[in-house]
Amino acid sequence: MIPASSYLLVALILFCVGLYGALTKRHAIIVLLSIELMFNAVNINLVAFAKYGLFANMTGQIFSLFSITVAAAEAAVGLAILISLYRNRSTVHVDEMDLMKR
Amino acid sequence: MNGDSKWGVLGQYDWSIMAPELTILVFATLLSIIDLLLPKKTDRRIIGVLGLIGVIISLIFTLSNTGTQPASILADMYRLDSFAVAFKAIFLTGVAFAFLMSLGTLDKKDVHYQGEFYYLLLTALLGAMFMASSADLITLFIGLELLSLSSFILVGIRKKHIQSNESAFKYVVIGSISAAVTLYGMSFIYGLTGTTNLYLIAERLGNVYQGGFSYIVYLAFFLMFVGLSFKISAVPNQTWAPDVYQGAPTPVTAFLSVVSKAAGFAIILRIFIIMLSNVIDIDPTTGEMKSLLVDNLGLYIGIVAAASMIIGNTMALRQVNMKRMMAYSGIAQAGYLLVPFATFTVLLFEQTLFYLIAYLFANMGIFAIMALVSKDQGHDEIRGFAGLFQRAPLLAISMTIFLLSLAGIPVTAGFFGKFYIFLSSVARQNYWLAGIMMATSVVSYVYYFGVMKQMFMRTNPNGVNKIKVPPCIGIALVVAVVVTLFAGIFPSQVIDYLHNNFLFENMMQVAEQVVMK
Repeated sequence: MIPASSYLLVALILFCVGLYGALTKRHAIIVLLSIELMFNAVNINLVAFAKYGLFANMTGQIFSLFSITVAAAEAAVGLAILISLYRNRSTVHVDEMDLMKR
Repeated sequence: MNGDSKWGVLGQYDWSIMAPELTILVFATLLSIIDLLLPKKTDRRIIGVLGLIGVIISLIFTLSNTGTQPASILADMYRLDSFAVAFKAIFLTGVAFAFLMSLGTLDKKDVHYQGEFYYLLLTALLGAMFMASSADLITLFIGLELLSLSSFILVGIRKKHIQSNESAFKYVVIGSISAAVTLYGMSFIYGLTGTTNLYLIAERLGNVYQGGFSYIVYLAFFLMFVGLSFKISAVPNQTWAPDVYQGAPTPVTAFLSVVSKAAGFAIILRIFIIMLSNVIDIDPTTGEMKSLLVDNLGLYIGIVAAASMIIGNTMALRQVNMKRMMAYSGIAQAGYLLVPFATFTVLLFEQTLFYLIAYLFANMGIFAIMALVSKDQGHDEIRGFAGLFQRAPLLAISMTIFLLSLAGIPVTAGFFGKFYIFLSSVARQNYWLAGIMMATSVVSYVYYFGVMKQMFMRTNPNGVNKIKVPPCIGIALVVAVVVTLFAGIFPSQVIDYLHNNFLFENMMQVAEQVVMK
């Protein structure tokens, strides 16, 4: 049997990769994808806890369904905003979004 | 029998306690359909007026619930107690102000999709209300996201406006990251307790903490606190505020700075106070028992509060844009509002709510005047306020009252609010926090008085043409001035009202599930 800690480790690595990507990548689409990785890390965590947690039950799987839905909605809104930004600025590079310094 | 209906257990609940939320839900749905059916040329302000009516009806329902016993339906996923009622009243008042402000100043050329604007404000409000009156991690998270997603769109609603797009994208990215961080923290809490109900979590978390999982409890606390600090724009997550405030339309900025921030405080207080209520730290050498939240984590919350006050107040000094200045001022105010939570006295809720009331009316007043001035001048810079006293003396005087309230000068609500918070910090002998609060307040006088200097001592290069005040903004300003002064001159009346009508302690009681008789 695979121990619970390995699932948590995968989730932790995925979360950190996502956070790193979201904070450092230049391309806006990659930033949004990295955020999806962070949500997926949470889902792995929740499903792993639903099977191996201290009080294992189904709630974790239900919670992960909610989290998937929210992540999808967030990606949709993020992409819509990115498209309207692209129409005005013709750029998807995060480091060029600096019109509001001071 | 009623319970045997095809709805099963859902048919048995007494849904009437959810009336404020259902009103908002019905209005948001109806308005989106009306918006679809109305001819293109019709003035969309009718939707705003209907939305305002919905908000007021919901406010009446909410206030009729004051002083009731805690009640809950859907296994605590929806919960009605004094804490929820008080916060919902604040959200509804704030949104009513945002509606009045948008009815008065929103430009058809600027915001093309006015119908969407109004009902997205309502859905954002619905999310905020669920953040205040739920005791289940899933519902709290969904409420948080409903508020976030609606406000992402509201910030970017000026589709042709480059700054608006840019700030909306920044808001989406930082908002989603912090939502993921919060959720990651929640997943550890679920893993340790196997439930998402806050009261069951509280029951189990104490033993789990003793059973060698203390590090994971700490980790979950920090992840959730950092994630949620995004909503209140407190320090680890404050960087979005200036850019987003600057890019958003002014009524949305007002909404973000008051309602969204108050909702953040509601969810933070609700989650941590209930969740960590039974977690006790036993010192291994002396055997001394300490509450984790009150005695150990108070220090970290205090550090966050102090850092927010310092960064907010010092960065505000060098701003030339009024909205950016208000954003940094809002960061500092979030710091003040965290002080009662960090010091944790019995007066915690009354202090927080009194200060939130003072902050609500002062900030809404400032943004209403700012919306008028920036519409008149065509920009948001502080120099736009030059000569306001000659152009519109009443506006300048009410602006002064609001600024004094935010700065915490006597005779205004802000003074007593700050004093009340300061007292708790001194009473808990948290002198360093009280000192930082005092020192940063003095620093804040510089930039608040800078605006007054512009209004009274400078003349406007564009001449002294009068500013016309639309009636709905006039109503909003009169209400804000009256409340700010009343709560400043007779603070005991407000405190007595809060004390007699809201039993905040009942937040901790596990409520009966209300079913139909």
